Amino acid sequence: MRSIKLANLTKSKHGSLIIPKVNLTIPAGKFFALLGPSGCGKTTLLRLIAGLEDTEEGQIYLGDEDITHIPINQRPINMVFQSYALFPHLDVFDNIAYSLKLKKLPKLVIEQKVFKILESFHLVDHIHKLPSQLSGGQQQRVALARAIVSEPDVLLLDEPLAALDFKLRERMLIELIELQDKLKTTFVYVTHDQFEALTVADQMAIMNHDGTIEQIGTPKEIYEFPISSFVAKFVGTTNIFSGQLRNIHSDPEITIPDLGTFKVYLSQKKPWVVEGHEVSMSIRPEKIFITKKEVKNFSNHMKGTVQSIVYHGRSTQYNVNLKNGMRIQVFEQNEEHFPAEVVDYDNEVNLYWQKENVVILER
Amino acid sequence: MKNKKLTSHLPFSFGMPAVIWQIVFFYLPLFFIVISSILKVTELGVVEGVTLEKLWLFLSPVYLGVIASSFLLALSNAVLCLFIAYPIAYFLAFTSHKFKNLFLFLLIVPFWTNFLLHVYAWFFVLEKEGFLNNLLRFLGIINEPIHFLNSIFAIMVMMVYYYLPFMLMPIFSSLERLDRRLIEASMDLGAGWSHTFRRILLPLTLSGVRGGFFLVYIPSFAEFAIPELMGGDKQMFVGSVVSHYILGEETGSLGAAFTVVSCVALLISVVLLYLLMNKFVKKVYG
Repeated sequence: MRSIKLANLTKSKHGSLIIPKVNLTIPAGKFFALLGPSGCGKTTLLRLIAGLEDTEEGQIYLGDEDITHIPINQRPINMVFQSYALFPHLDVFDNIAYSLKLKKLPKLVIEQKVFKILESFHLVDHIHKLPSQLSGGQQQRVALARAIVSEPDVLLLDEPLAALDFKLRERMLIELIELQDKLKTTFVYVTHDQFEALTVADQMAIMNHDGTIEQIGTPKEIYEFPISSFVAKFVGTTNIFSGQLRNIHSDPEITIPDLGTFKVYLSQKKPWVVEGHEVSMSIRPEKIFITKKEVKNFSNHMKGTVQSIVYHGRSTQYNVNLKNGMRIQVFEQNEEHFPAEVVDYDNEVNLYWQKENVVILER
Repeated sequence: MKNKKLTSHLPFSFGMPAVIWQIVFFYLPLFFIVISSILKVTELGVVEGVTLEKLWLFLSPVYLGVIASSFLLALSNAVLCLFIAYPIAYFLAFTSHKFKNLFLFLLIVPFWTNFLLHVYAWFFVLEKEGFLNNLLRFLGIINEPIHFLNSIFAIMVMMVYYYLPFMLMPIFSSLERLDRRLIEASMDLGAGWSHTFRRILLPLTLSGVRGGFFLVYIPSFAEFAIPELMGGDKQMFVGSVVSHYILGEETGSLGAAFTVVSCVALLISVVLLYLLMNKFVKKVYG
């Protein structure tokens, strides 16, 4: 269990910059998720850590050790590939024992280790099967077992669940969390799926299209307090409004053209929080209360007309047209079989939210 | 029902022309060769019976020596081609798409010109005042020109040159089908290059290696033109002996007998090499 530190890591391919001077610390023994849109360079970053690609500039530290120029086969870092990359001509046992045999361990020790891991992964019955004879989920677990059996300091996972169906993926995510908890190995999980990242991560980093890290934090920090509109929009769903900041020293407000003035809460002092400055306001759809009635005790209110309703099962999504022509999303939990109030198409509705649930972002 | 019958006959009828071709132009001539090698014919051309005399004749040390040198020629050609072709195929398979097609094209181009032109081109390279001698003299490695032509060296150069693509193509296609992530996974798990080659690359490209090996080995065994043109008459190989008898006056049946003997020898050598290869591979996998 050791930390990973990237210092000014830079990499370009075919003349275009993919990783631009990235600085990142991945804490030891934590489940770390790297979330970013497709093609943002997150896989390249993972391959640089693994040693599959040469670093152009900057350093990679494993704990205090500079491993930038240590070849891939000497780094105590293993990787689970997106395609699993199981050796098709070796059976489950030989696939998992591959790294142990390289360490020239006694045969008995190898067998013990492989059996132990096969048992905890429920793969004992498949020990002599070839990868092609296994299901997707089983292949996934063999790939995982192969990577952790030699007890690496760091385990890298490159979209490991992308090929699995939703149910299986949910189950594997829980298994991964429990596995990491047991092993205390540093896990680095790369994905473009915000649901996966939020589920597994102790800490996560959001990478934007340029390969720059926008924000690092716990899933809750990232989701509730995004620091940029990119993060707010990429992680989860949100409604973004643009307006002018007012009264920032007493009772801060935002004035949105054609819509009105709304109370906001400024949690932190930011350089762009200036009186009269143009900013963005983000409200998550589930933070908004939708009703046809008039309600007190909310700091903010606006009116709208329901344009469409999408039923999701556990929640219902209302798409509401506002008077300035914008459309916003509202989620309501479906807590009752027979709700007291039914909001329907074309209903005039009141939308309420508390000022503390708003995030003010730089434009 | 009618349709079902039709479809079950379909592959058979499509395959028919090829089967007929194979029978008329391969099995029938082979049958004639075998028959004429064991028929006893008088000087007047009357068939008197069956005899193994002619076949026994070719089991003498002289002719077994000819077979042995053909065996060595074919084996060394196949091994040389293998060692030269594998790195080239690896390079080809793992370079970018654009260059891959260009390189493959360049490999095919020589096949567009006549075989004899290749031979004469190599004459110019290897002759006394040729390119190679001039180059070596220019570099100061030799003072007097070397007689490259009419030697085993010249034969081997031409053999490898000619047969290389037949080794390269099957290895290339098996390497191209290989998932490159497997090599990365092997290295990531701590393996070095030689281990990755032995445990991952070689086993997964074995079909290509085996295919290429025998694709080169078998025709090299009976190669006639290259030893004849490049080697002068210093060394006798199976091909030259067969042609000597077949083209000679009234010695056709002897040619047939020697063909039968060398075919059997070739068959045995292929089986032995195949078994040897399996044994070697098992040892290499560890």
